[in-house]
Amino acid sequence: MKKIWLFSWLIVLVLGCEKDDICTEPNTTPRLIIDFYDSQNTSVLKQVANLEVIGEGANSTLSFNLVTRIELPLKTNENFTQYSLNINSTSSTLSNIDILRFNYTRNDIYVSRGCGFKTNFELNLFEGIVKSNPADDEYWIENIELIKNKIDSEDDVHIKMYF
Amino acid sequence: MMSISKCIFSVILICTFSFGKAQNSKSDSIPTPKTERYGLRVGVDAYRLVLSVINDNYKGLEFAGDYRISKNYYLAAEIGNENKTTNEDRLNYTTKGSYLKVGFDYNLYENWLDMENLIYLGLRVGSSTFSQELNSYKIYNQNPYFGEAPSTISDKKYNGLNAVWVEFLLGVKAEVISNFYAGFSFRMNYLMSNKEPNGFENLYIPGFNRTYSGKFGVGMNYTITYFIPIYKKKLTPKK
Repeated sequence: MKKIWLFSWLIVLVLGCEKDDICTEPNTTPRLIIDFYDSQNTSVLKQVANLEVIGEGANSTLSFNLVTRIELPLKTNENFTQYSLNINSTSSTLSNIDILRFNYTRNDIYVSRGCGFKTNFELNLFEGIVKSNPADDEYWIENIELIKNKIDSEDDVHIKMYF
Repeated sequence: MMSISKCIFSVILICTFSFGKAQNSKSDSIPTPKTERYGLRVGVDAYRLVLSVINDNYKGLEFAGDYRISKNYYLAAEIGNENKTTNEDRLNYTTKGSYLKVGFDYNLYENWLDMENLIYLGLRVGSSTFSQELNSYKIYNQNPYFGEAPSTISDKKYNGLNAVWVEFLLGVKAEVISNFYAGFSFRMNYLMSNKEPNGFENLYIPGFNRTYSGKFGVGMNYTITYFIPIYKKKLTPKK
């Protein structure tokens, strides 16, 4: 009788333990979502070819080819992130680099024990996106449209770029 | 470190338990009048005391007591205070607060002659008032393109929190030397109500211990108690 009690207690103890130390939440820190459109026909999505993106302070390159949407991670410990976007990077004649600086405020939100916190961003309404050109040539990005300045999910498009 | 101290204590207690039995069995041959002692047992949780000494991030104290109300039933209570800093992979937080647990124990153990040991099942209602302090946290990023950011220092305090739970326990109490008892209990807790801080979570509740994603939790104590006899009751002879 006592053994049965002890045994059932042990089972209850084991069942009482749930593994929650691992982050399984799919929606944590969101990336910036950018869609590319044709500058001649502003309602039509346009594919980027051999777009190489390098974030300032990162030591790897993000490559995008024949897509209309790119996702850029933002720094969670600074209020700005700067990217260089090199279009047609494989061509010596068509290659063109534009630099974008995103200025934002951050909001850290508790997720869970396993995940810790996530960061949501809010692009500044004044000079939230600053475009510059290192080679002093023509900008390949003709126009930038801010769609949603609150970056709290990857389901929404935040910026439209026309080229 | 915690598991080592648990282990050492278990060994000590098992030894003392068997010692207590051996000592009491000496009186086997002496025919004694069939009376049982009733009274109050009070003491302290040695596990929390030892943990407070060996662990810099923990300060805790628990007093435990029970009062015998019938042959097998005891009114029982624990009162305690904890101050614990928990350092986890992604979070570091400090929980401070007090708790009270009230309920009863039911002794399953049929003692020989005048032995007064217990193997018991118990039930408690526990409640705690406490505060949480978030010290630092890490940001989770599925795309750590810029590398993982270092821990963010925080000084957010969440006061006025409280929780209520029930505990189901299984325990042992053995008379080690005259009127001194050593005992341990394992507890399964079920959270009934929990006032969560706004923008954080009660990951540790004083008295309840670590919380899990569900409502269950586990706890334990190792008590050293002293029995104060108040009156004796004659046993009704059994056929």
